[in-house]
Amino acid sequence: MKFLQEHSFHGSVKYLTMHEIKIAEDLAVIVLEAARNENLSEVTKVNVSFGQMVQIVPEIFEFAFRETVRNTIAEDCELIIEILKVKIKCSGCGGEFNIDKNNFICIECGSAEIEIIQGKELFVKSIEGE
Amino acid sequence: MEIKIMKNILDRNQNKADEVRSILASKKVIMVNMISSPGAGKTTLLERTCEELAGRFRIGVIEGDITTDRDAQRLKKYNIPIVVINTEGGCHLDSHSISKVLGLFDLDNLDLLFVENVGNLVCPSQFDLGETFKLALVSTPEGDDKPAKYPMLFREAKAVLLNKIDLMHYTNFNYDNFISDLNKINSQVVLFEISCTRGDGLKNWYNWISDQNLKPNFISNRL
Repeated sequence: MKFLQEHSFHGSVKYLTMHEIKIAEDLAVIVLEAARNENLSEVTKVNVSFGQMVQIVPEIFEFAFRETVRNTIAEDCELIIEILKVKIKCSGCGGEFNIDKNNFICIECGSAEIEIIQGKELFVKSIEGE
Repeated sequence: MEIKIMKNILDRNQNKADEVRSILASKKVIMVNMISSPGAGKTTLLERTCEELAGRFRIGVIEGDITTDRDAQRLKKYNIPIVVINTEGGCHLDSHSISKVLGLFDLDNLDLLFVENVGNLVCPSQFDLGETFKLALVSTPEGDDKPAKYPMLFREAKAVLLNKIDLMHYTNFNYDNFISDLNKINSQVVLFEISCTRGDGLKNWYNWISDQNLKPNFISNRL
């Protein structure tokens, strides 16, 4: 088998720079769909939670989201971004801790067998509107 | 009025990734999502790997390239199936782009599918492609601070390749800091210290990746 083919998504699929923009677009789809299902005429607030590990820059995200919802019923909504700290659960001693400085090790027993239970979220919690 | 949604924003990407993962599992194809900065050596690593393994395994490549097909052209000589995805400025591949091109491969006759993601350490880490595992490639001239700055990637990667170790002496790369940061983030990760141009450490890498292929382990990468 050889060089199969060049696949350009230009024009067919919208690809944009910065992961914030793609995530903002997906958020807008979810928000507008929920608003439509509830027959809202205006979305006044959108509440989201982002884990610290996903490295979303709130200012860029807000800018991207505003662009995406321009001329929709969500264009004047308030966007509330909650940043969730990284939290781990130790498989050894069962302890749960917030961690700082990328130290993914149990601070009680030193075990590296840990599970990340918070910090990777890209989560839409709720919307408000009327 | 408040409407509870409680939904992962990247649900659409995740669902498609799960679909890709299950197709690959049913065809027993290992898909490796290669993530690094631009210039770390992803394509050179693929060249070396194809040179060594293309005779023993059926290898395919998906090249995520912002605008050219230069990386793919470099791999043409190995006579393997290659598909280029031009993201036209996009900083990462997502599961929908992978799903669209998967059908171009003869999956029944494929063992290993390498995805060379767009050179970037942040964005590609957020988008599950449906891969069997992620590979983080970093090179010494970039500096020893990459794990500390981009913990998500190094936490999620099954293996880390430290490339250009032959250049370490010419840079201010602090090996001990690198190892110490990496250990704090992911103490179980497999580390290969390599030089793709000189060949150092590549044997271990070839052996390891061949073992992955013989012992498929379809772990879920769900967030």
